[in-house]
Amino acid sequence: MQVTHRLELFPEHSVTILLFNRVGNAAALRKKAMEGAIEGALINPVMIVDPFQILVAANKAVHLHKIGKMKTKSLYAEIIFSLSPNNNISDAFKKFGISDSDTAVLIVLVVDREKPVNLEDIASQVEGQQVSLDELPQLTDTDKVKKMYKITPQEEKMNTLLDSIVCRMSTKDVL
Amino acid sequence: MAAAKADAGSVRSGMAGTVCPAVDEAGAAGPAMEEAGAAGPVEPEPEVPPPPLPGLQLVRQGAEAHVYRGLFLGRAAVAKLRVPKRYRHPALEERLSRRRTAQEARSLLRCRRAGISAPAVYFVDSVTNSIYLEDIVDSVTVQDHINSVQRSGNCTSSLVPLAEKMGELLARMHDEDLIHGDLTTCNILLRPPTEKLDLVLIDFGLSFISGLPEDKGVDLYVLEKAFLSTHPDTEALFQALLKTYAAASKKSGPVIKRLDEVRLRGRKRSMIG
Repeated sequence: MQVTHRLELFPEHSVTILLFNRVGNAAALRKKAMEGAIEGALINPVMIVDPFQILVAANKAVHLHKIGKMKTKSLYAEIIFSLSPNNNISDAFKKFGISDSDTAVLIVLVVDREKPVNLEDIASQVEGQQVSLDELPQLTDTDKVKKMYKITPQEEKMNTLLDSIVCRMSTKDVL
Repeated sequence: MAAAKADAGSVRSGMAGTVCPAVDEAGAAGPAMEEAGAAGPVEPEPEVPPPPLPGLQLVRQGAEAHVYRGLFLGRAAVAKLRVPKRYRHPALEERLSRRRTAQEARSLLRCRRAGISAPAVYFVDSVTNSIYLEDIVDSVTVQDHINSVQRSGNCTSSLVPLAEKMGELLARMHDEDLIHGDLTTCNILLRPPTEKLDLVLIDFGLSFISGLPEDKGVDLYVLEKAFLSTHPDTEALFQALLKTYAAASKKSGPVIKRLDEVRLRGRKRSMIG
């Protein structure tokens, strides 16, 4: 159902990705996330092409968190920010975070080995149905994604969308 | 020691300036960053711990970086871990290391944006200045390919389409004002199946941006030297490469002219004209 992956470079952390559909309380969830009441990053699945994209963002966020060089205030905010191809934090939240009218929500948890996080606890707060991540492609809006990441037509011909996105995400601060 | 351990016939993600191990070490004319294990080092090589990736395999242990293959976030990846040079002043070392890594990442992105095949960047570690890239699985270097074709007795002219493809690829790269800096046949990969001539450029550690015909000419010259010294009797192939390059690139005229001039320079050449 959900996907869990242990970060190779940070073995004490593993990333769990859950997908919910037919969500009714997006507005309440967003509020809770803003207040920091939810132990997870709430992401709009429309902008996500593959769980690998989330893993790359989470890996980068954990790396920056460890060296104290995060641009945002929390690890979960940093994950959302890492998804964005540009350096504007509020824009990242607007595009990649959830909005009140969303019916699908992706929740990303970073679990510390010492502090196990309760999946049921998170799932119970969502008024919706947890679905397998295999359903993610149906929810993705590829046109929106291409526009956001500014994928050029010649790039599309040569590479997969996912590779182009991931490349931009990881080189954003080096440019 | 910079003894490059050849991984027979498999994927090569060379690093900046290292001699391609396959055929002849002495022949490589690339901007050699390090002696090919000639003089013994004064102190043992600094510790570069391997990354804790599943399925880890050491691909190359070079002067600039140790290159590993493994699974990263569930995908086949190549990890280039920089080797710190202890003889340098630490501030300089840090700055150089960072700049090289940044240049590499930037060039890779620039290539992709222009539709040139290059590995995707998965993660840039700003602490160790290491870079985690896409692994082009089951690819062969152009060097290995040419060698195997020549060894199996096939006529070199069967390699002309490959040379033309290379010319096209380089023309596109130079038109983006991107200078590779270490063009050798082991820094160009062939995606499987090899007949498709799907080329991928790798190892942008010495790359930079420049519009000058001089820089592009030198880039081509480096490739020419590496090509002709590693692969005997391939002058015609390189000519075909240059011909396609000239046709495909919009700014090729001054570049080829410069290349001719550059050829007249260099070691053991008279400085007349």
